[in-house]
Amino acid sequence: MKSHCVELRRARPLLGTIVDIQARAPNDFTAIRAVEDAFDAVERVHRLMSFHDPASDVSRLNRDAHKQSVKIDKWTWEVLHVAHKFADESNGAFDITVGRLLTLWNFLPRLNAGHPERMRGTSRTTNRVITCEVPRFAQDDRPSWHDIILEKGRSVRFHRPLTIDLGGIAKGFAVDCAINALKNANARAGLVNAGGDLRVFGLHEEAVGIRSPLDPNRPAGTITLRNRAIATSAIYFSRKKSGGKTRSALINGQTQQPFIDNVSVTVAADDCMTADALTKIVFVLRDLVGPILIHHAADAVILERDSPPRWFSP
Amino acid sequence: MKSSFNFIGLPVAALVAPSAFAVQYLSVDQAQQAIFPGKKFTAAPVKLTSTQKKAIEQKSRVRVLKDEQQVWRVSNGGWFVIDEVVGKHDFITYAVGLNADGSVKQIEVMVYRETYGYEIRNDVWRAQFVGKNANSTFKLDHDIKNISGATLSCRHITDGVKRLVAFYEVALR
Repeated sequence: MKSHCVELRRARPLLGTIVDIQARAPNDFTAIRAVEDAFDAVERVHRLMSFHDPASDVSRLNRDAHKQSVKIDKWTWEVLHVAHKFADESNGAFDITVGRLLTLWNFLPRLNAGHPERMRGTSRTTNRVITCEVPRFAQDDRPSWHDIILEKGRSVRFHRPLTIDLGGIAKGFAVDCAINALKNANARAGLVNAGGDLRVFGLHEEAVGIRSPLDPNRPAGTITLRNRAIATSAIYFSRKKSGGKTRSALINGQTQQPFIDNVSVTVAADDCMTADALTKIVFVLRDLVGPILIHHAADAVILERDSPPRWFSP
Repeated sequence: MKSSFNFIGLPVAALVAPSAFAVQYLSVDQAQQAIFPGKKFTAAPVKLTSTQKKAIEQKSRVRVLKDEQQVWRVSNGGWFVIDEVVGKHDFITYAVGLNADGSVKQIEVMVYRETYGYEIRNDVWRAQFVGKNANSTFKLDHDIKNISGATLSCRHITDGVKRLVAFYEVALR
């Protein structure tokens, strides 16, 4: 922390959450420029990867990629590549095709009219019964990340109709892009927090509170970071009843079942996309996650009711 | 695996519950300059009639809770509006800059406050959530500047902005 640096902190609603960006720079002009550039980067990720925007790469893929190859932006391409790598490494524990279940359970809207993979159910907002086929898949024949083909020239094709959602990884990616923007604009230090996916850079240490899974408005403790990213996954804000069952927006890609326990997983890694994706993998693999964490030089802590924090620290 | 855990326990009695998370981002002046740099602002508060409130609700499909809206006229013809939204977990004051044609120019969060959920009687691991490992140090901190945890949705702001766009149509245009 240099005394002649100015500090700037701003927050805007983006990526379905509140994105907080902080910069330290030698003067006001540099600080404002850096923060603006960082928000521009987050807005770009938002435009490309939003599930809600019909013009986003994600919507275009969900609508058309099972019919023809769809060319996408290089940022979306990068995220899909990393998602593919994590799905492979975790044997499908991390799987972006769980978007299908998120729409089925009303965590995401049903946008793509004409999509052959629509479902029967009662719309929460209108109470109208949506009459479409509920696809039932045999265990060995359900849609998964294996059905996504990354072709040459940033083109993507699906083997079958899929609903992908990048909610488990795009926020981390957006944080990394924003950090790069701060650095490129000559900020000395900075912090980007997209709804709990957070990364810091610079010489100083930053203390970050971790929400208590039992009472998420209170921190259970703080973790101190320097030039590192952190992400926490838990279901405390997403758990709800759907179709008579308790569901959450956090899904085990291997079993296709939602997590419904009051558990939180926090992962620290060098970049935020890695931390973001790894939280979902730790959720599924729990005690077996060691080798994957070691591979990514990441560490994790699991918080749950009635037991002490469990550290996984390669 | 167990050998890789490395934390230090502390007695519960030593701890005091930290305060709720809150950040003040911008004052009114700062928010004005952040959205409309270098412009002049004239206060033009609006008190809504019940007919106007109904019209806004019909257009936006969002409930209007307050009669009064803090509004400034901007020297370039735009509008600067301060609004508040309250959710189950949060309380947010934010500013919206509207262009002269009513389109949204920029949204800035001014104050973000999280509200308490419920009291925890027996928070077993709060007591033990203090320790160290190879890459990260843990400690208790009563003045938390940043918080990591599952996403709080910004749906209330999104709804608030929809309501303000309808407010422009009904009361400012």
